[in-house]
Amino acid sequence: MISTRSEPATFNGLRKRDTSTELLGFLSGAKLVRINRATQELEPSLAESWARSPDGLTYTIKLRSGITFSDGHPFTADDVVFTFAALYDPKAGCELADAVRLDGKNLRVSAPDPLTVVVTFPVPFAPGVRILDNVPILPKHKLQAALQAGTFDSAWNLKTPVADIVGLGPFVPTEYVPGQRLIFSRNPRYFRKAPDGGPLPYLDRVTMEVVPDQDAQMLQLDAGQIDAVDSNMRPEDYAPLKRSADAGRVKLLDLGVSYDADSLWFNLKPGAYAHDSRAAWLQRDELRHAISLAVDRKAFADTVFLGAGAAAYGPETTANKRWFSADVPQTPYDPTRAKALLASIGLVDRDGDGTLDDPQHHPVRFTLLTQKGKTQLERGASVIREDLKRVGVVVDVVPLDFKSLVERFLSGANYDAIYFSVARTDTDPAINPDFWFSSGSAHFWNIGQKTPATPWEKEIDDLMSKQIASTDEARRKALFDEVLKVFAAHEPVVYFAAPRVFVATSSRVLNATPALLRPQLLWSADTLALAPKR
Amino acid sequence: MTFYLARRLLFALFLVFAVSSSAMILARLAPGDYVTEALGPGARAEAVAEARARYGLDRPVLAQYADWLSHAIRFDFGRSMANDRPVGELIPERAANTALLAGAALLFATVVGLPLGVVSGSRPSGALSAAIRTFSVVFLSLPPLLTSLFLVFLAARTGWLPIGGMRSADAASGPALDLLRHLIVPAAALGLPLAAMFERLQSQALAETIGQPFVLATIARGVPRSRVIWRDALRAALRPVASVYGLVVGTLLSGSFAVEIMTSWPGLGRLMLDALVARDVYLVAGCAAAGSVFLAAGTLISDALLAAVDPRAIEA
Repeated sequence: MISTRSEPATFNGLRKRDTSTELLGFLSGAKLVRINRATQELEPSLAESWARSPDGLTYTIKLRSGITFSDGHPFTADDVVFTFAALYDPKAGCELADAVRLDGKNLRVSAPDPLTVVVTFPVPFAPGVRILDNVPILPKHKLQAALQAGTFDSAWNLKTPVADIVGLGPFVPTEYVPGQRLIFSRNPRYFRKAPDGGPLPYLDRVTMEVVPDQDAQMLQLDAGQIDAVDSNMRPEDYAPLKRSADAGRVKLLDLGVSYDADSLWFNLKPGAYAHDSRAAWLQRDELRHAISLAVDRKAFADTVFLGAGAAAYGPETTANKRWFSADVPQTPYDPTRAKALLASIGLVDRDGDGTLDDPQHHPVRFTLLTQKGKTQLERGASVIREDLKRVGVVVDVVPLDFKSLVERFLSGANYDAIYFSVARTDTDPAINPDFWFSSGSAHFWNIGQKTPATPWEKEIDDLMSKQIASTDEARRKALFDEVLKVFAAHEPVVYFAAPRVFVATSSRVLNATPALLRPQLLWSADTLALAPKR
Repeated sequence: MTFYLARRLLFALFLVFAVSSSAMILARLAPGDYVTEALGPGARAEAVAEARARYGLDRPVLAQYADWLSHAIRFDFGRSMANDRPVGELIPERAANTALLAGAALLFATVVGLPLGVVSGSRPSGALSAAIRTFSVVFLSLPPLLTSLFLVFLAARTGWLPIGGMRSADAASGPALDLLRHLIVPAAALGLPLAAMFERLQSQALAETIGQPFVLATIARGVPRSRVIWRDALRAALRPVASVYGLVVGTLLSGSFAVEIMTSWPGLGRLMLDALVARDVYLVAGCAAAGSVFLAAGTLISDALLAAVDPRAIEA
């Protein structure tokens, strides 16, 4: 039995992107390829093999033969073509579609024969079919009528009888109780086999129990009423769960440092401070470097993550072994140098009150927005405020709810700086180009630039264009190392620390291969097993 | 009496209209919208614009409201953005659960609070009354969130009761008993502060009533004191409790937000909280409408009760 904080929005895995719908996809659906969350390697799934064309734009994918949906209907390449047609149909309103577009353009998918799929990319894309790990394949025989009738957006909603839901995954939904639980039974037609050739999945039944409060989830886990939790553990959960683990009630697995570090960025949109006397210094590289020097990352990690964190110096943490670069300089804790840097842009204490002043005698002060209710971010913002106070910079911390916060930075207006944490869905930087490209929608400090606002952003654009197009993995790594160096030289985003990630399960759970990326435990639900109750 | 109730019914209809309209407009005016989170912070501007157009979020607030209102008067409350389902389908399945929880909490509060109020009000100086008063003050000062946290913790530590949910996936007992076991923690969390309030109100009202000449005269005529208190004085002292019943139903709904979250009770409060967080405007409006129906129904019942125990209320 696993608990989630909300029920899935729909049975239709293309329509919504919330974590519970995604989890449902892992339990009852299957994709052409699968990223092994534990090793980060790409594995065959419904696809048996694939080959890339010399120009790198076309992939010919061979499907496994003999696969059937849970209702016994054969799975063929037509189902793949249908899935992509539904995904990109504007009337279907699939929220997943944007994650499977490159440069805003759709992939082209065709089926020359029942066991072959040809996928053509609109632009060169080094990660190739890795992007297909996002797309659960749907049954054409069940949903084609809805797509043709223009009712795909309401097809397979939670009112649909579970008997009508079929899939290719290890489990099939067999009971839905609104607001309470979804029960899945073993799919006897599931295509994957155990290493010994035996059938998978091992579990006969999985219950997805809806427990909205995370404290209640932890209590239920501790009391043995559930076996796993589909929520990221908070730093404050560690101590009580460690006691439970020591008492043998739960298993606590330390997965190491997270891929995602908490980060701070300033609004670097040109003209953002047009009528503000702080315009002369708020967007300067020196200010961000000084902040980076003024925060004691070791103490930050200990305070914010209650001892379970590690200092971070850039967008890639040590967890991302493939793309982390040890050559990127690690900013030391040096408040004296921070003060000197601030002085170099005219920010000094002119009236002896302990607060720096700009040349017009205005105090050096900015507002830092963060997400309300997320304790680690609220604690982190407080630590930043205290550390910067020591170098004479006044920070006003303002917590906002998630949507208001996102609205601020997407609009590029009405904010000075933001302290936030963005969870990634893949470790390959090419999968998240919108962060790196100046035109990108996730280039948070200055979103969607028509032309690069600065020479260094243009340099990153050029390097990333080559990095994404190259098929030579060593060259891609070298290019990305260069990107990280340019990024570190200007620090548009200042990183402080990343949490250690823990996963807790009941003591009965066997064969767990937890991973840093979501869903940490259930990405391999087919091989999970349970020891009998004592 | 009929005119009085008709007047109250009209007010109830106005209440439902005003609350749901305000909820819809406020949810729409709040910063951020459903698309912000659904597509994630890094979504392309074109994708965001497409999704906003799809859900009508690109239209002016008043145009969207007018459209919603014209459908709502025909009982079409729109479609939940987050759930891909009509709001009219989602509300009843959750409202029934909230009604059950609220009913159980109200029953619990009435059955526990009123008799305790009679006990403490009829013997204000006794040790038992002092103990009852102390418990009442404690539970009155505790918000339902803390009470439910404590009860959930107690349930987890002792294993006597389920920690959350409404029904077990594999109930060993019958469905009714299983439901009752699940109901105890949330109903107690919601009902204890109410019981404390009823106790205080009833106690004070009874203490005042006991000093009234008609009570003293009845006792002087030789009618046993306990009979006078439980039969005559109690009825006369019911007015304060009856007059707050309607408000209590509204309190139950807002109090159930926290309790439903803590105890995983699949009710309207939880649905509305999810809708508010997601800025699912039509669902917010639908939940608010359902909530105001609860409040209106409670007020009507309270008015009817008040009229029954004190006919002067009709003239007021």
